[in-house]
Amino acid sequence: MNTTTKTCLIVDDSKMIRRVATRILRDLQFEPSEAGDGREAMEMCRASMPDAILLDWNMPVMDGLSFLKALRSTNGGTKPVVVFCTAERDVIKIAEALDAGADEYVMKPFDSDILESKFSEVGLLG
Amino acid sequence: MSGSLSLKPSYYEALKRLTAELVGVKLGDDHTFLVETRLATMARKEGFENLSQMVDELFSRGQTRLAIHVVTALLERATSFFDGRAGYEAMGDILLPKLHPLYRGGSVRILSYGCSSGQEIYSAAILADKLKHVLPDMDIVLTGVDYPSQALERAKAGRFTHFEVQRGLPIRHLIKYFDKDGEDWVVKRSLRNRITFIDHNLLADIDQLGTHQIVMFRGRLGQFTTPARIRILRGLGRLVSANGYLMLGSHEKLDDMNFGFEREMVAPGCYQKSQKQYIPEPDIQDSLQEQTDQERAINNTA
Repeated sequence: MNTTTKTCLIVDDSKMIRRVATRILRDLQFEPSEAGDGREAMEMCRASMPDAILLDWNMPVMDGLSFLKALRSTNGGTKPVVVFCTAERDVIKIAEALDAGADEYVMKPFDSDILESKFSEVGLLG
Repeated sequence: MSGSLSLKPSYYEALKRLTAELVGVKLGDDHTFLVETRLATMARKEGFENLSQMVDELFSRGQTRLAIHVVTALLERATSFFDGRAGYEAMGDILLPKLHPLYRGGSVRILSYGCSSGQEIYSAAILADKLKHVLPDMDIVLTGVDYPSQALERAKAGRFTHFEVQRGLPIRHLIKYFDKDGEDWVVKRSLRNRITFIDHNLLADIDQLGTHQIVMFRGRLGQFTTPARIRILRGLGRLVSANGYLMLGSHEKLDDMNFGFEREMVAPGCYQKSQKQYIPEPDIQDSLQEQTDQERAINNTA
């Protein structure tokens, strides 16, 4: 495997979304991994910080916003580029996510063009 | 539309000829699907039962108005925000800073020629807004021009879908410059009011559009036949003011003919208006004469 391959952790409680995102990110030359909620994602980040995180908002156990706040205050937790990926489309919610340290924001439903555009926006591609 | 009714190959060939003759755009053989879906929608709007009936009408009666509507529908192009990012970087880092000392205290005019649904000129407007403190005391006046079309109507309304606003537009720009309205996003009035949109008929005189310091015509050259390309570039040469710039796509060039621009690009695809008097080369004049004859023939038959 190419040593420059970037890693991306997909955090979503929907297995279907994780599967779709995994396929798109593989096409974009990422090495994806998956977590089903914020707590599981936090444990994985403590073990190894990914280059990027695609993050759902509403999840059981620990939601995306709580995860993001916890991540950004963890040692090394400012490094990953975090792209929210959620059905929340309210401007106030989007602003809240950005204030908490999100780098970009995808509103569901999304397609491969949107993910590619957003990842390119935050310098993760090329 | 009846699913079983598709366009006869001879009609498709005739539409290709019409588009090439009227505006000099080459439709490829792989455009059949696009032609059918766009024209089927238009046929319903025009009150025809189906696409074949509209095309029958077009070729049996040769109506100019219908021909222009059909060709315009075929030319509509999909655009996205900040498409060809390098061009906007050139505009913000090179072109506008070079114009600033010349136009400080006044205004710089930017034109998007063939603005379609408006993403290009709205992106330029966002860039202009971001630069207002870096380049003070200089108004940036923006104009989007295209053939009368559904795309242009959407540009005027500044209304974009959930998918369109997520292609090329950073989320911070979305929440700063747009309001959510149902499922769509609408450009805020403060940004929308900076742009004038102009319906420019297919066969109208380009000189009516005045002069501009930056004229954007990006990623479009390849679709035109050689005589049409020469005619358009020559027209655009007249739209660019002294000291102004023509912006083509980052991978596009003027090649051997300079159309009144300096030969050296100031940034990829960006040419400054030449200070020298422009005299068309003889071969260009011949091609232009040919094109004018062709247009006259179309007008006479229409």
